Amino acid sequence: MLATKEAVTGASIKKAIEGRDGKMLSSFYADDALVRVIDRNNPPSKPREIRGRAAITTFWDDICSRAMTHRVDTTIAQGDSLAFSQACAYPDGTKVFCAAMLELKDGKIARQTVVQAWDE
Amino acid sequence: MRPIATRYARSGDVHIAYQVVGQGPIDLVFVPGFISNLDLHWEDEGYSRLLHRLSAFSRLILFDKRGTGLSDRVDAHALPSLETRMDDVRAVMDAVGSSRAAILGASEGAPMAILFAATYPERTRSLVLYGGYAQFHRWVMARDRLDAFIEAAATAWGTGATLAQFAPGRVDDSRFANWWARFERLSASPAAAAALARMNADIDVRGELARIRAPTLLIHRRNDARVNPDASRYLAQKIPGARLAEITGRDHPIWTGDVNRVADLVEEFLTGAHAAPDTERVLAALLVTRISDTARLGDRMWSERSLRFHETWRLLVGRHGGRVADQHGEMLVSRFDGPARAVRCAAALREAAQDIGIASAQGVHVGEVEMRGPLSGLAIRVAAQIADHAGRGGILASRLVADLAAGSGLRFIDAGRLPLDDLDEPLALVEATSEQHLEPACRSRAITVEPSTLTVRENEVVALIADGKSNAAIAAELSLSEHTVKRHVANILLKLDLPSRAAAAAFAARQAGPDGP
Repeated sequence: MLATKEAVTGASIKKAIEGRDGKMLSSFYADDALVRVIDRNNPPSKPREIRGRAAITTFWDDICSRAMTHRVDTTIAQGDSLAFSQACAYPDGTKVFCAAMLELKDGKIARQTVVQAWDE
Repeated sequence: MRPIATRYARSGDVHIAYQVVGQGPIDLVFVPGFISNLDLHWEDEGYSRLLHRLSAFSRLILFDKRGTGLSDRVDAHALPSLETRMDDVRAVMDAVGSSRAAILGASEGAPMAILFAATYPERTRSLVLYGGYAQFHRWVMARDRLDAFIEAAATAWGTGATLAQFAPGRVDDSRFANWWARFERLSASPAAAAALARMNADIDVRGELARIRAPTLLIHRRNDARVNPDASRYLAQKIPGARLAEITGRDHPIWTGDVNRVADLVEEFLTGAHAAPDTERVLAALLVTRISDTARLGDRMWSERSLRFHETWRLLVGRHGGRVADQHGEMLVSRFDGPARAVRCAAALREAAQDIGIASAQGVHVGEVEMRGPLSGLAIRVAAQIADHAGRGGILASRLVADLAAGSGLRFIDAGRLPLDDLDEPLALVEATSEQHLEPACRSRAITVEPSTLTVRENEVVALIADGKSNAAIAAELSLSEHTVKRHVANILLKLDLPSRAAAAAFAARQAGPDGP
């Protein structure tokens, strides 16, 4: 298991996402973490679920391999909860906006729900 | 749904048309086969289903190769090499910001995908090859047949004449055949098609296979009409760590046949997860009624009678609680909530066809269909093939129909098994026989069967039935199991088109001459 070099905070998440650093992002998660993604194809009653750190690492590797820009605008922390919004753009102009809510446990992300909307 | 935006990527001086659809975390590039047209794909039910399925878990990147579809035309006499076309994949990936993608190459798209994976290992997340090959002449078409194929394709280009060589199972589907003809016309000009075919014939990427490092899945239909399945077996041996999934089916294009099966395999390979169950499908009883002019009525009389039957069909389907779903010429499709209604409607239609003076053959099947959109897909293809198999005036159904109609008063007899390309196992069939109280009404067909059509053993059995013996007694007398006797009786009734043992006994008595039946 990778040692977490940085604590999970709004600032460290912003740095990892904007720097498309998949390795750092993956290190923020607990081994049995769950990421739920809600979007047009994955409605709230049946979100896409990514379970466990291995699958989450693949997920972030895929996302971070895209030559796109990410900007984390707002981060809010309250106890073991963290929330942030993220604006992304692909080189062909397609924009994506995400809002994420995170639950932390022992300093790691245990559960994350992402709601995303795409230009279509 | 809003139309999918088509954009253009620059690859050198050439514009490559592309579309991006889906919001999944994995980038998936679809490398099409021989010809393609981004806009037209969405108009075919199978193609559109494939693309929807793939884009449900990925960001699906689609493009037309240079010289085809919506991409820039190129000089048909100087078409680019496979390497240049492969570089178009890279140009499209750059345009959409994909540094690393899963590559799905279908048919002729497979050698292109192989070349890409070998050339750009760092940009290939994984590789899926459907109906692919490494060398054209060895697995697709021998050298001596190529000129004839190109000549035929160029002469009849745009008429859909190539369909039989790619998807023989869809030749009788007039809507698909029309779509295929448009697909030819809108994907390439005749000279470009001929040049593409000639260029594809030079494909040989065997030397690249050992260089592939990406996890690889190979999918091939066992009876593929276009590319020999040995092609994928060879790829499985040569690509390090590749896994081969051989699936049932004969039609070659990836968007024909059991598209869901292909999409399931790709999704599972790329995401590690099983496909989520499709919730937009419902169970329906399907009736396919085929009519034909066996009496050689002549065009005019046939046209009048056919029209009359179409009107009666609408009326009777409605009366039996069904809905008319589709009609292509002489094939009429209707759907019902329950199988017994479908079979009763089929019996009424058979009678109507007889009254009008045309021949009918019908197939009933139960299966899942899409809740929305036109009725199409596996279940409907199976029902159509059952109807093809039915004899004149016959009502054949899958065994499942008989099982579900238990208690309805309908009667069925075993009608053997029908091997279908789309299914793993031959499909057990039954023939719907008349309900007893309807017997006289439905039994207007003259029986012309000679006793000689029965086997020696069946003749023995029918003689003993005529003697009033039970199955158990016949079994004992002929040293057979009771089960075997039952099978003989069922076959006798089927061959003689009789509803009961009593009728068989009467038949035997009528036929009995000095030498017995």
